[in-house]
Amino acid sequence: MHRWSGVEQGRRPAVSVIVALAALLLLPACGRKTGDALEEALENARPESTAAEPTRAEPAPPPAERGTEPFTPPALAALDAEAKWIDRPVRDGLKMLREAQKQETVLATVDEALALENDSAAANAKILSALGRLPEPEQADLEARIDRHVTGDLGSTNPIMISTSAEFDILGLTGFGLFSFDRILEPFATAETVASWQTSADGLLDKVVLRDDILWSDGRPITAHDIAFTYTVIMDPRVPVPAVRSGTDQLRWVHAYDDRTLVFFHKEPLATNVWNINFPVLPKHIYEKTWEQDPTLKDSPEHVTLEQSPVSGGPYEIVERKRGQQIVLRRRASWATVGGTRVREEPFFKEIRFRIIEDPNTSLLALKSGEIDEMILLPEQWTTQTKGEDFSGRNTKVTAPEWVSFHFGWNIETPFFADRRIRRAMSYAFDHDAMLEKLCYGLYEPAVGTFHQSSWMSPKKKLEPSKQDLDKAEALLDEAGWTDHDNDGVRDKEINGRLVPFEFSMLVNQQPLRVAICTLLKENLDQIGVRVNVRPTESTVLQQLTQEKKFQAYLGGWGAGTDPDSSENIWATGAGRNFTGYSNPEVDRLFAEGRRVLDRAKRAEKYARIQEILYEDQPYTWLYWRNSFYGFSKGLRGYVFSPRGPYHYSPGFSSLWMPRE
Amino acid sequence: MNASSPIRSSGFWAEAWRRFRRKPLAMAALAFVSLLMLVAGLAPAIAGTKPVICRYKGRLYAPCLGYFDRRLEPTIFAKDKFRGTYPRNLVEKDPGSWAVWPLVFQDPYRSVRDDEWPGRPANPARDEGRPSRINLFGTDQAGVDVFAKMVHGTTIALLVGFVSMGIAGSIGIVVGALGGYLGGWVDMLTSRVTEIVMCIPTLVLILSIMALLEKPTIWHTMAIIGATGWTGIARLTRGEFLRLRQSEFVTAARATGAGPVRIMLRHILPNALAPILVPITFGIASAILTESSLSFLGFGPPPPSASWGSILNDARSNLSMWWLVVFPGVAIFLTVLAYNLIGEGLQEATDPRLREARK
Repeated sequence: MHRWSGVEQGRRPAVSVIVALAALLLLPACGRKTGDALEEALENARPESTAAEPTRAEPAPPPAERGTEPFTPPALAALDAEAKWIDRPVRDGLKMLREAQKQETVLATVDEALALENDSAAANAKILSALGRLPEPEQADLEARIDRHVTGDLGSTNPIMISTSAEFDILGLTGFGLFSFDRILEPFATAETVASWQTSADGLLDKVVLRDDILWSDGRPITAHDIAFTYTVIMDPRVPVPAVRSGTDQLRWVHAYDDRTLVFFHKEPLATNVWNINFPVLPKHIYEKTWEQDPTLKDSPEHVTLEQSPVSGGPYEIVERKRGQQIVLRRRASWATVGGTRVREEPFFKEIRFRIIEDPNTSLLALKSGEIDEMILLPEQWTTQTKGEDFSGRNTKVTAPEWVSFHFGWNIETPFFADRRIRRAMSYAFDHDAMLEKLCYGLYEPAVGTFHQSSWMSPKKKLEPSKQDLDKAEALLDEAGWTDHDNDGVRDKEINGRLVPFEFSMLVNQQPLRVAICTLLKENLDQIGVRVNVRPTESTVLQQLTQEKKFQAYLGGWGAGTDPDSSENIWATGAGRNFTGYSNPEVDRLFAEGRRVLDRAKRAEKYARIQEILYEDQPYTWLYWRNSFYGFSKGLRGYVFSPRGPYHYSPGFSSLWMPRE
Repeated sequence: MNASSPIRSSGFWAEAWRRFRRKPLAMAALAFVSLLMLVAGLAPAIAGTKPVICRYKGRLYAPCLGYFDRRLEPTIFAKDKFRGTYPRNLVEKDPGSWAVWPLVFQDPYRSVRDDEWPGRPANPARDEGRPSRINLFGTDQAGVDVFAKMVHGTTIALLVGFVSMGIAGSIGIVVGALGGYLGGWVDMLTSRVTEIVMCIPTLVLILSIMALLEKPTIWHTMAIIGATGWTGIARLTRGEFLRLRQSEFVTAARATGAGPVRIMLRHILPNALAPILVPITFGIASAILTESSLSFLGFGPPPPSASWGSILNDARSNLSMWWLVVFPGVAIFLTVLAYNLIGEGLQEATDPRLREARK
């Protein structure tokens, strides 16, 4: 069995590439219930995973090679004496939302909202306000079943193997976690599992005391030892963890002092530590006997059985799994009721059925016929295919801002785009209005930078979205030396004694909207003597070419992380996802500082400055923020949107419910 | 002997043409294809935004040639910052200028902007571009005129057919002739090669080669269709050559001392050509279909392209825009039908047995 581990590790980079690809193409934003953006997280995971070790059947390597330095934690009493503990928030996401909704004025009654066609911002606000509310006592049907769908099957049911959006959707409901964040991405410890959370004054320690009434689905208690054990498993390089190791690798150590007391030791006092202590948890009593024999966690007979029927630590457990077809989750009694007493609120749905549907046209048909209750709508579906009675008979639709943005990336290492003036000329040349109005049906907001305009890290003084100005674009090109020297209608410049015409390729995936945007750029640049060859490229090839910097320009997108620091691997010099080859020492410095400033207002200044510098430098021409567009069954209530969509935050999916008949 | 054979040969073709002319469907198809050629040749004069001929600052120019090749477009307009917009700039920058415009002022590669043609609004975009007086066949999601696209797409459709079957015909006839005339191990070799090539799935090959190429163009597609589509022609040619090399006129030619190349080219080929032309005609039809399906799948010429198949591809995301389906669909259907009718007409006109059977 050990032989397989090497093979698996060899495969790991491939896994990351595929998922990173999902990020670049922006499949529905992959949220990580437990923390920072999956998209960014993966990159951090890659460098160490590519260090594939030789295949080995020998005993486990010494601890130094196992991802963590040996560490002897001091006694708890000594820690308590020195730490000067500061209390951190322990909250119940559902209760917070309930409190918040008490302050809100309801814009419409449920019946009014259900009768509305969502054709204006006012109608959208009414629908969200009336249908997004939590139930009054006794109002929700606790026997209800919701039919959801995912766009691909699970790769694994093991919580630490989480990486695709389907896995985040499903394992987020069956997994156990200590931390979460609310709809403005503010982190906290969840009151459902945590009794107290404290951080030391120097920011190097986090102490968590667990509740004593939490059980695995097999009836054994969930303890601090499970979390400490999971940390060692995740950090073992033999275990092919695709995503969650980024973050935990910033930790020095995790130690369980008793069944309930857990201390996280950090390497540095970083603002991002709150995200690093947040990772999925394995049941120690199950895996401690098996994982050393089979570190892949899926090849041995025991692991195959576990894969089929995993032990759940969350409110739901998997009761049925038909590969490629559907996955059924059921609420487990031992979550809310322990020892005969109700200790937690029961989730609103008794059963959650996930159908696996890859094609968005098929899922729209399924939504219209009532086979599924929710889906993400494409702009064209939103505008043209969800107007009639066939849609609005059973369903309603809502939209909200989401932090997913698209851009043209300019390869700064090519002679064309090394000069900032040229990148700015590109932004001036592009007809942003035509893109937003015609191609995007007026549904998307213009983007100006890497952070969303409404986020706390965005500059106070709003940056102006680019507008087309061909005169400025031409002036900048002339200034940079790109004029038509040889009189052939195309701008050129002498580089190393050779006259290089300004003609470059634009890589884009084959989605019609994105090809249309690139074609628009081609038309615009054509007018000022710059030639573009639009190259629709198969998505894996596109991902590979951008990774290897074998491109001149591309169209791509990113989903924002919960923390601005996660953007570092796009902008820092030499960072893994810095496809454009951007390098600015000031930006590097600001990211490093931003991580170390704990006060949010002061941190915000750092990131705002980064945003301004990027705006000046234009390594990307930012295009638009892709908002959330969802279709929901009329029987569904309680959807509230965060910048990462309606599900992946707290309460997120847990706030959805169906009324009693 | 040599003196009489060309006379008989030309008599055969004249006879075939006489019989072909009697078939109204085949003649209508021929007229249709001729019309398409005319449209393809005159595309920039039928639909476009660049003047066919204009006088500017005392000299005559034909900017419309830019639609055939970018390098043919006079650079003086780029220098004078026309930015691709001729009507207003011509008047503003040289009041004494005049221009002959295309019949329809629409561009196959971009949407016409507001007031680009004095007094005319911008093309409708999204799903609002129904056929109208200005946009005869409607516009696509980006506002590009479908009529202009189809006129310019005619060139691609015809080129694909002729170029790919030109390649396939040359390969097929050479391979078949060699195998059929020489026989022996040459025949053995060419027949096996033919069979191997027959097994290659064209579509899959094109898809993979397009993915590998740095800058895939329509010419690559044509080359691949041609390089894989010659097997039927080769087999037919081989059969004809096998048959004819035994005939008396070949023996006679050999007796007069003609070499094998001369016999093959001068004596056998003209007599074998008629049956070979038939699969070539059908091949043109299927090449057009292949190109359309490739464009439909998104593997056609790079955007912005005016290929008929790519218009169909635009329709895929919104079927309520029926004009994106109907016009290119009908055009592809008619063209393929026309080639098939011509092929059939040719077959009947040249094959004496079929002629007898029909009587």
